[in-house]
Amino acid sequence: MKKKQQDLKRLLFNIASLVDLGQEVTSAKGIDEKMKTALYVVTGMFSVPKAGLFVYNADRHKLELVTCKGIKDADGTSIDVQTKYIKAFQKNTPYNISEARNNSFYERNAEAFRRLQAKTLIPLFAKDEFVGAICLGKRLSRTSYLHSEKDTLKVVASQMAITLHNSSLFKKIKNQVNENKKLYQNMRHIYHDTIQAFAAAIDAKDVYTRNHSYRVARYAVAVARELRWKAKEVEGIYIAGLLHDIGKLIIDKGLLNKGETLSAAEIQEIKRHPQISYDILSKIKFPWKDVVDFVKHHHERIDGTGYPDELKDPDLSDGVKILAVADAFDAMTTKRTYRKKLSLFDALREVNKCLGTQFDNRISKVFFKVLQKEIKGEIKEAQILPHLDKDFDPTIITTLLESITAELSY
Amino acid sequence: MNNFSIALKSSNDLVVIMPKGYVNDLGAERLESTCEQFFNKGIRKVVINFSDMQYLNSIGASVFTGMVQKTLEYKGLLCFTNIKKIHLDVFNMLGITKHVKVFKEELEAINFLKGKK
Repeated sequence: MKKKQQDLKRLLFNIASLVDLGQEVTSAKGIDEKMKTALYVVTGMFSVPKAGLFVYNADRHKLELVTCKGIKDADGTSIDVQTKYIKAFQKNTPYNISEARNNSFYERNAEAFRRLQAKTLIPLFAKDEFVGAICLGKRLSRTSYLHSEKDTLKVVASQMAITLHNSSLFKKIKNQVNENKKLYQNMRHIYHDTIQAFAAAIDAKDVYTRNHSYRVARYAVAVARELRWKAKEVEGIYIAGLLHDIGKLIIDKGLLNKGETLSAAEIQEIKRHPQISYDILSKIKFPWKDVVDFVKHHHERIDGTGYPDELKDPDLSDGVKILAVADAFDAMTTKRTYRKKLSLFDALREVNKCLGTQFDNRISKVFFKVLQKEIKGEIKEAQILPHLDKDFDPTIITTLLESITAELSY
Repeated sequence: MNNFSIALKSSNDLVVIMPKGYVNDLGAERLESTCEQFFNKGIRKVVINFSDMQYLNSIGASVFTGMVQKTLEYKGLLCFTNIKKIHLDVFNMLGITKHVKVFKEELEAINFLKGKK
């Protein structure tokens, strides 16, 4: 009667422990903690003070320690497992190490088994794949495993094998994702570098527009950020800024650098560049939306008198409007073949004068606000200010910007 | 572990460790490390008073298995007191009580250990 009661208690404890194990291996904990807790469940079930859990590294033919209990300085412990041994293992079945003292598997790993004080090895198989092993030390009860206990160990081992298998799959996927991320980042850098090189080539065609594309891209980024565009959209307008004049590569260099007044035909020729830019860029599948649209229409005007399509306000996107202001502002604040550069004060007044005809009020107001913030040092990474001449009076410019933006608010 | 803490009482060569609440996850490892810290300080007589331990599972059992093993390695003396029957049954079943002295009350264990060298 007493024996039956003890068996029943043991059975209940084992069931409860299996429930604990099930909860642990399916929990949201990190895999390392999950494995450690699972090992504690097993060692608690069978009163084993020392144990180790190993994962199989197929490339190295080694069992590598994942976690252990009660063993000091066990880090880096591994067990040599050749294919012939794996074939000899019975799936998830406890294996008495002391009975195998004379075989080559034990001899090869005698030092590791001694360090782990291992008495029992349970090879872990998920389906037919060898995934790891549990090494158990001497039991506190000093008893050997009963038949029923060996059966319980098999159940525990299959559950841990599946967890180990899933975790190694998860790790593989995670590594692959990280690898892909790195590749993507590298490609992005190459992409950016290539585009920058193109921008430099575009600007090099006209001696007066050196770095123009880069500055337009930066100014556009400043406005887009102020408008709280998403990072990818900001990147898109940056690229559009760098490439907006790519069509000029096709225009005759002599014409671009001609100092005298241009004839009507020559003006028409230069005006072809947004369409040419579009023709070149529309062949490329950009990862950013609307780059091609921004580039094609950066010379359009709110009043519909721009080129190439004479689009009016409702048909112009914010990106186009941003690029239009950024492009014109940079043209005004740098020296051109046909005129001297304007002072910052005059350039801002010129933009203000063209509001509602050439430039969009709302976008221009944002441009003024960003510049104001940059002058006041309210923006960490200034995009416009570093490219402007430093000979202006910040108080005068700030006052001007305040009065323009106040006027625009009405 | 939200529901677990340890209370300690130590004097001279003896320490009383009181696990409180649920001993059912890795947070209970602190019991093992606390025990080892006392052994390292030269205190080898340990009483574990279970009166406030509400729940014990296989993870907790593993922790106590570890404490017993440490006691054996450090040649210490370990006494359990105030254990609920349900927990004592688990310790008996796992063979843990073969290596510890079990007393009903903490004072009995302390008196027993005081008489030991």
